[in-house]
Formats: sequence, structure tokens, C-alpha cells
Amino acid sequence: MKEKLQLLAAEGKEKILAAKNEVELQEIKAAYLGKKGSITELMKGLPGLAPEERREFGQAVNAAKNELSDLVESQREELKLKSAAIPADFDVTVPGTLPSGGALHPITQMCYDLNDAFRSMGFEIFAGSDITSEYSAFDTLNFPPAHPARESMDTYWLEGHDTGDADKKLCLRPHLTGESVRYMRTHKPPYRFVYPGRVYRNETTDARHERAFFQYEALIVDKNLTFTAGKVMIKSILSKVFGQDVPVRMRAGFFPFVEPGFEIDMGCLVCGGKGCSVCKHVGWIEIMPGGTPHPNVLRAAGLDPDEYTGFYVNIGLDRLVMMRYGVDDVRLFHSTDLRFLSQFR
Amino acid sequence: MKVSLNWIKEYVALPEDMDLSRLAYDLTMATVEVEGVTNLADEFQNIIVGQITEVLPHPNAEKLRICKVDIGTEIKDIVCGGSNLEAGMKVAVACPGAMVRWHGEGEPVKIGLAKLRGVESYGMICASSEIGLFDLFPFEEEATIVDLSAFDAPAGTPIAEALGLSDMILEIDNKSLTNRPDLWGHYGIARELAALYDLPLKEIKPYEVPAVAPLTIEVADLERCPRYIGVELSNLSVKASPFAMQTMLWRVGQRPINALVDITNYVMMAVGQPTHAFDKDNIKDHIVVRRAKNEEELLLLNGKELALCEDDLVIADTQSPVGLAGVMGGAKDSVLPTTKTVILEIANFAAPGVRRTALRYDNRTEAVSRYEKGIDPERCDLALSLSMELFGELYPEVEVTAFSDTYPKKLECANIEVSLSWLESRLGKRIPNETIAKKMGAMGYTVAFEGDMMHITVPSWRSTGDVSIKADIMEEVARMYGYENFEATPITTSFEGAINQLDVDIERKAKEYLAIRCGMQEIFTYPWMSDECVDAILQDTTGIFQLSTPPSPTERYIRSSLLPNLAKAVAHNQRYFDEFAIFETAMVIRDEGYSAPYYENELLPSQKRGLAAAWVCGGDDVTSLFRRAKGAVELMPRYTHMEGFTLKQETKPVWADDVVWLNVFVGDVQVGNLALLAKKAALSCGIKTGYVMLFELDLDELVPFTSRTNSFEHLAEFPITDYDISLLFDRNTPWEKIRATALGCKGQTKALRDVLFVEEYKGKHVPEDKKSVTLRIQIGADDKTLTTEEIEAVVNIVTKKLTKNLGAEARTK
Repeated sequence: MKEKLQLLAAEGKEKILAAKNEVELQEIKAAYLGKKGSITELMKGLPGLAPEERREFGQAVNAAKNELSDLVESQREELKLKSAAIPADFDVTVPGTLPSGGALHPITQMCYDLNDAFRSMGFEIFAGSDITSEYSAFDTLNFPPAHPARESMDTYWLEGHDTGDADKKLCLRPHLTGESVRYMRTHKPPYRFVYPGRVYRNETTDARHERAFFQYEALIVDKNLTFTAGKVMIKSILSKVFGQDVPVRMRAGFFPFVEPGFEIDMGCLVCGGKGCSVCKHVGWIEIMPGGTPHPNVLRAAGLDPDEYTGFYVNIGLDRLVMMRYGVDDVRLFHSTDLRFLSQFR
Repeated sequence: MKVSLNWIKEYVALPEDMDLSRLAYDLTMATVEVEGVTNLADEFQNIIVGQITEVLPHPNAEKLRICKVDIGTEIKDIVCGGSNLEAGMKVAVACPGAMVRWHGEGEPVKIGLAKLRGVESYGMICASSEIGLFDLFPFEEEATIVDLSAFDAPAGTPIAEALGLSDMILEIDNKSLTNRPDLWGHYGIARELAALYDLPLKEIKPYEVPAVAPLTIEVADLERCPRYIGVELSNLSVKASPFAMQTMLWRVGQRPINALVDITNYVMMAVGQPTHAFDKDNIKDHIVVRRAKNEEELLLLNGKELALCEDDLVIADTQSPVGLAGVMGGAKDSVLPTTKTVILEIANFAAPGVRRTALRYDNRTEAVSRYEKGIDPERCDLALSLSMELFGELYPEVEVTAFSDTYPKKLECANIEVSLSWLESRLGKRIPNETIAKKMGAMGYTVAFEGDMMHITVPSWRSTGDVSIKADIMEEVARMYGYENFEATPITTSFEGAINQLDVDIERKAKEYLAIRCGMQEIFTYPWMSDECVDAILQDTTGIFQLSTPPSPTERYIRSSLLPNLAKAVAHNQRYFDEFAIFETAMVIRDEGYSAPYYENELLPSQKRGLAAAWVCGGDDVTSLFRRAKGAVELMPRYTHMEGFTLKQETKPVWADDVVWLNVFVGDVQVGNLALLAKKAALSCGIKTGYVMLFELDLDELVPFTSRTNSFEHLAEFPITDYDISLLFDRNTPWEKIRATALGCKGQTKALRDVLFVEEYKGKHVPEDKKSVTLRIQIGADDKTLTTEEIEAVVNIVTKKLTKNLGAEARTK
């Protein structure tokens, strides 16, 4: 009897472990442990045993049943996992399914990057007006009445509003700087603000010239500022844009609305200032003009230039984006071409 | 502008070992941008003086000769086709390695050893045009080679040395010179360098006017011509100027002509004052400076025939104009080979008039470039001194026979008071008085200190508007002290609270929502709209601005709506993509709603921030296109944290399809439209296939919330069941009505949570006048888990109500 039990238990174990699926497993379980299962049947021979053997044998049968039953359960788990397993021929090199792709315009991206940087320094963001008058574009900025910029043909004047007094002549704004005076006139000093926006020039377009392009200006006005405060603004902008500390130099430059005025250069990042074709072998790249607001500009804003002073910077956003990504044709920005725009995420 | 270092050195003794890149850097930092420094001799490398010892015929070519040429170290054979070859002649030899332009044309090429028709040639004997010297050695007949016999240089001398062309040329960016009329000549640049390096500047001594007869000059417009010096010079002749003077002019970009003209050009390049020589024999009576009469004719030196106007200032005799003041001389007064007596004009003309006249006739000259910057009238004295010195040198026999100087209103030099403490506060640094005095003095300023005050008299050459206020003085001090010697000072922070600009932020949030959440691409378009899209979409141009000078005749309207350009962008991208979605924000402008937000008298038209979006599909599945667009619009207020939208049909936009359109409201205010672009309009805009859903929104009308508006609900304790059921309705039953009716059952059963749209079906499996709508009924109680019977009871209530009110039928086979 004992031998038979051992034989059946070993046979059962083997079969359970070899079961290929749950149905098979269930059948095996029934065959050995069911009501008419072969091990259960052994119990029927129990009365024929000696009483002391009877107890011992009964325990052995139960132990074998329990053992097999546990094995069935663990084998059931095993089979479940096996059936859920991913086939080994699954190809992990197939491309992923992409989330639907959209993006802001690369110039907007750059603009928002700069907005974030300036906001963190306590600057407000101001949007002026695309339409401006000759008064706001030139008079308030200390352009003398006969300045060539007024006479030049590169401003987009509005039909029916292109003659008469300076404050009656309307055009698409030719530059952003006039917005600074507008802001100052409608806010209380001290000032710390940026005013990004699009400007318009009536000129022949090519890879480097465009009729509509973006500028980004920042102005800080306070009592007792020194002109070198501007260096901090400039460095902040450039390190934000290029993600690294960029050497900056300010040199003599002339613009009617600043005094003193500067041309601001950044160290060429391509050659590290050693000189290369990108920087025309001088190690520096002209990046933006800037300077202290001219007293007449502060006066136009309603401030006393003896009391207040400040610093302007004016960045060409298109040019900055072109430098950041190596874009070689400024016209692409207004092309509306998704093949171009979708490259910037 | 080209600046010769040798010329500069005539006025300031720069150290011989001066590092030129340093000089260029210093000048760039303090004064003007030096774009490049070139060594003049570099162009003439390997070009030397050779002496022909023998000219032999070429065995294989009739037009060629074989020259035996002494190149200093040895005699070489050089094959040459020159027509004027002679033994004993000194010539320019381009040895192997030299760069020459074949026949004076094209890009320079490098000379190597070559065989010409079978004969080895050591380089070439050059014509002047082949080595860039045509202006100094002009020739008429082809194949004329340069004859250098007159030069005292032995064979083998580098040509740059032989011709005295060893010089460095600074190329200065003219743009950086616009506000500095004093720098448009070598003397001005020399003065800056003298101040920068603390070196003395050579003085130009004033000319002593001899006692001669007064020259009659009539200046009728003193405003436009504040000063006019006329000098009558006799005993002159027309001849070539000395070679040294010619090369000086040539190296700064001027073509030598003859001694008389060269003197005037030399003076201009030296001190920046244009002058002009008139042949006296061509002047009837005397010179009159006056305004032109309308339609008065003038033939310019360059052959241009002008019909003048009253705004032009002319130099005339008593008969007719002889020159355009400050711009160009006329043909009538030209210096001719026969000229013996000239009237030398050294005059000052006011900048705006010269600029207008030059612009009017598109006639820019070196003189215009200088006059238009505003030259001070005192500079005439410098030009007079230098002119008379040069005439004396070139024409020892010259005689001044008449002279006059019309200068009634002397230029007043600017006086500026600057407080030293103010200067210190603006510079962030105290600059010693001695340093200021030394630097300012070197630039011609008179400086006197008195306590905290500094009294400054500006030199005449900076008094034409360039330097007039104390900020100008601050700049002068700072740049001469060196901008790089000021350390960056941190911007002091004053915390007045966080920047909170809801109106600015809402635009960004809306854009980021569309781009990042809805997967749309932002585009930029120009502020003008094309006619065909305006006609197709706006259909009415009332109140739309037009440009005076549009970029093209069909792009004259200023953006009054974002849709026309968006439609154009759709058409453009359909070439490459089937399905896409784009959006743009920009100012929309209309010729109406004027207000003066900034300046009392500056009336500005209505300008609003607009947003527009387009969803495009290539096929004809308008339903899913519509739902995609509508979903993006519906969810926008939620993600941008603003007052919600109501979408309903009130007024159909003109561009919209007859059926698929909605107006967008915030409260009672219409803020935009969402609609399918009518097929006809789409075709007119070049959208040949598919469908386009357009959305336009007035960003200025949106009502932002001051913070995020999410609300919290407790999580349901007991399960909520979704029960989907399909019912048949009349085709024209709107979903919103179905939903409202279903939700109307809430009064009857608290377990009804919500009713959602799953899908709708129209087609062959339902009767023609019906549609099948699948709705999802959400059912759940607050206090227990519902049984199947209880759930079905709720569904029954809803179905009954829909049947009763809307005639819904169960969908059966």
C-alpha cells in the first residue's frame, strides 16, 4: 500500500509539472485527488490495515494529497503567467506611436524663454500697438525733425493717413522703441519691463532681410542707476538663450534715443573668441544695440532726466533664433510652412 | 570709409611698433567700428620691378615676344604679348605665386610657371589692370603694359615698395560714423587716436589771406549756405598731380584725375570738407548761391540732366546754374584742359537741404555723405589752409587774385555745465579731474572746474548737434576712459510683490493649450492679406486699412481678421500634408473705434489681439473634423482658466457653411466663431480638397480667472454604472435636446448621474428619416450598491421620457 502511494504520488507530481494548460491540470487533479481519484481510492483499503498501520497510512495519504494539491495550485499560477507571457519574437525596435504633435512658433518659444527670465527678475511684459504714429515712432524718441529715418521710404504708411502732422500720420510700427515711452506714460516709475513685438519695414526681402520681424526690448528706469547695469540685463538674456555664460562687450554706438549709445557684442560661441568665419575673424558678434535713454526720451515719458536714468536693450529675435538653430533664411519664419515649423518642439 | 594709416601718421605720430589689431580694437570700442585692417602690400606679393634687357620674337606666335627680364637676382625669360615692350624698360613682373586678374577681369588667379606656345615663361609682365593699378596707370590701347621706367627703383624691388604703397588700410563701417561729421576725414580720426593714446595732434595753421581784390560772391540763401569762401587762383594749368598724391587718393578709394581736381579730393579726404574748383572762364560775371527755379535745367558733371525745383540750392552764375550745391558740379563749369584760372569754392551747406536734393535726384556723392551729416562752418578754415598749401606746392607760380569769405553768422560753440557728482552717479565711478581734462582737451573741448561743476565748451566740429547735453559729455568721458574699465553693477531688487498680468498670461495659456494639449502648430503670417482671400472670406472691405505702398498690388489690405491668412496657410500646407491643425495670434486692426490711449493728439484705431485656428482634413469626414475642433474649443476655457464659452447659433459668419457653424459667447458677449469654411470660399482661397474648420476668437474679450478654477468632489463610495443604450430619433433632433430631456428625469430618480454622448449613426441600417443615437447613462446611488433591477429601472425612466417627449424608439431589427 505504502509503495503504491509513493508510486502514485511521484507519478502525479510528474504529470502536474508536465501539464500544458489549466484543463489538463484539472483533469490530472481529478484523476488523483478527485472523489474517484487514484489516491483517494487508496483510502478505501484503509479498513484492511492493522489499526496502528491505519493511522500512519491515513496520515501519509493526506500528506500526499496536500502536497499534490499545493503543487496543482502553484502549477496553475505558473501556467497563468506562462500564458500571459509576451512572445519572445516581440519586436522592440518598431517605432513608438507619437502623441499628436504641436508646437509654438520657434520665435514664440524664444520670446517666452526670455519672458520667463525677465519675469524672474521682476520685469513686467508690455504689448504696445502695431499701428503707430510718426510722433510715437520718431518724435518721442528724439529723432530730429529732418532725420533721414523719417524721410526714408521703408515705413509702411497707411493709405489716407500718410500726410499731415506727426501725430496724425499712421504706419505699421517700424521699430519697437516707441512702445517704451507709451508704457512709461501709462505707468509709474521706477520701471522694469520688456516689450516684445513685431515690426515692419518696407524693403526688398532676401535670406537676411524680411518685411516683418520680431524685436525684443527691455528697459529699466530708476534713480541712480549706472550705465553698466545694462550689462547684467544683457548677460541674463544671452545666458538664457544660449544656456551658458557668454562674454559681452559694450562699445561706442549711436542711436538717437540713447545717450550714451552702445553696440553690444557677444563673444563668438563657434570659435570661443579666437576668430572664425562666423564672426568674420574678430571673435565678437554684434548682437544688439542699447544704451541710456536720451534725456529727451525721458522727458517725452514725463520724467525728469536729472532724477531718472536707465538702460535699454533691443534684441532682434529672428536673428537670435537663427543663430540658436542655424537657420539661414529669415523668410522661413513667416512662410507658414509646417515642414519648417514642426522642427522646433 | 577707407582710412590710410600713413595718412593718419601725417597728423599724429603713432609709435612705429603700434599693434594694429590693438589700434583697430581700441578705435572700435571707443569711437567707430573698424571692420577690417588690410595691408596694402599684401595684394602685390611676388610682384616686383623687372627691367627688360632684350626683346626677342616668339618662334611660334607672331603676337608674342620673349623678353629677357632682369628681376634683380637673375635674368629670366618671360613671354609677353604687350604692344609697348622695349629693351631698357622697367615693368611690373608677376612672379610665380603672385595673384593677378587676367586682362583685368574676374577673380584674381595665382601665377605659376607656364609654357606659352612651347616657351617656358617665368610669370608675366603685367598691364596695370591686371594688378589692380588701372586708376594709377590708365591706358587706352589694349595690351599696354605698365611702364615703370620713371620710378627710381632697381630691378627686383617689390612693386609696393617701388610705388610707395606700403601702407595699412582701416575699413571703417560708415553706419558707425553717421553721428560724427568730424570723423569723415583723416584729420578727425587722427584726433581721436591722439586723445586715445595721449599723443599730440599736428596743428593745421590758419591761412593768412593776402591783400587782394574782393571776389564777388552773392549768397542769396544764408540759411542753406551759412558760409562761402571763394578764392580766385590764377596761373594754373591742368596737369597730373604728383604720383605720391595720386596713390594717397587711390588707396582711400578715389580715382586720381588731374592736379586741380585731386587737390580738392585730397582736402576732402584729409579734413572732411568738400571743396570745388570752377573754371573761371565758364562763369558769367560772378557766382550766385541761390534756390533753383522750378523746372530750371542743370546738366551735371556725370551727364545727368535735371529739372530742378525750388527746394534745390544751386551754385549759379548770373545766367544759369553751374552746380548743385553740396552734391555735384555741373558740366558747364568743369575743369577743362584749357583751364588757367579757377574759383575755388570752400563752402558750408546745411545738411537737410543737401540730403533732400541728393535723395530727390538719387545722386549720392562723397560730398553728400559729408554735408548730410552736418559739417561745422569753421571747418572751411582748415580746408582753406590745406588747399592753399597744396596749390602752392603743386603750382609754385600760382597767384591768389581775388578772395572773399561770406560768413555773417558765426557758429556758436555749445556750452555745457556738468556736475561732477552727477557724472559719478551715472558712471558709478569717480574719474579724476586731470584725466577728464586731459582726454577732453585732446578732443578739442575746453574744460574748467569750479567746485562740483565742470564748465565745458564744445569744439566747433562737435557743435552741430552732435554734442549738446551733459549726457553727451558723460559718453565722451566714459568712452575715452574705456568702457571696459567699468565693472558691471548688479541691478538692485525691490520686491513689491509678484508680477501678475492676467491679460498677458491668458494669451500665452491659450497658445500653449492649442499647441501642447491640442497638438496644433503655431504659425506667423504677414500683417497684410491677399485680395483673393479677403474677397472670399471677409467679402466686404469697409473699415479695412490699406497700405500706401503695399508689398504687392494684391496685398494691400491690413489684417482686420486672422482668417484670410490662415486660409492661405492651409492652402500652402495642403501641398505637403493631408491632415493638420494650425493657429495664429496677432493684432487685428480696423479703421474705426479711434482712441488716444497714450498721447492726447495721437488717435489710434481699434486694435485687438486675435486668435484663430484651423483644423484641416483631406477626406470628407466632416463630423469627426467638427468634433475635433469643437472639443478643442469647448475645453479651452477649462485649461486657460477663464470664464467658459457658450456655443450657439445666432448670426452666421459670412464665410461659414450654411449648416455647420456656431457663435462663441462669454456670457452675453460674442467673442468668436467656430464654423466650417464654406466650400466656395475655400476653393477661392486655393483650398482644393477636404474641409477646414475655422475658429476665431477675440482675446481681449476673454475673462481670465485670477487663479486656477479646479473644484474637488469626494470620490464615489458606491459604484457608478455606465449603461449604454441606442435609440432612434428623428434626424433633426439635436443632441443637446436629447441630453436635456434625459437629465430632466433627475427629479424622478436620484440615481441618475449624467447622460453622455457615445455616437450617432445615420445610414442604411436605420430608417431614412431617423438617426440612431447611443447614449451613456451614468447611474449610481450615494448610499448603496444598486442592483441590476434598480439600474434598469433608471434606464426605463429615461427611455420612457425620451419616447414621450421626443418620440424615441428602441432600435430593433
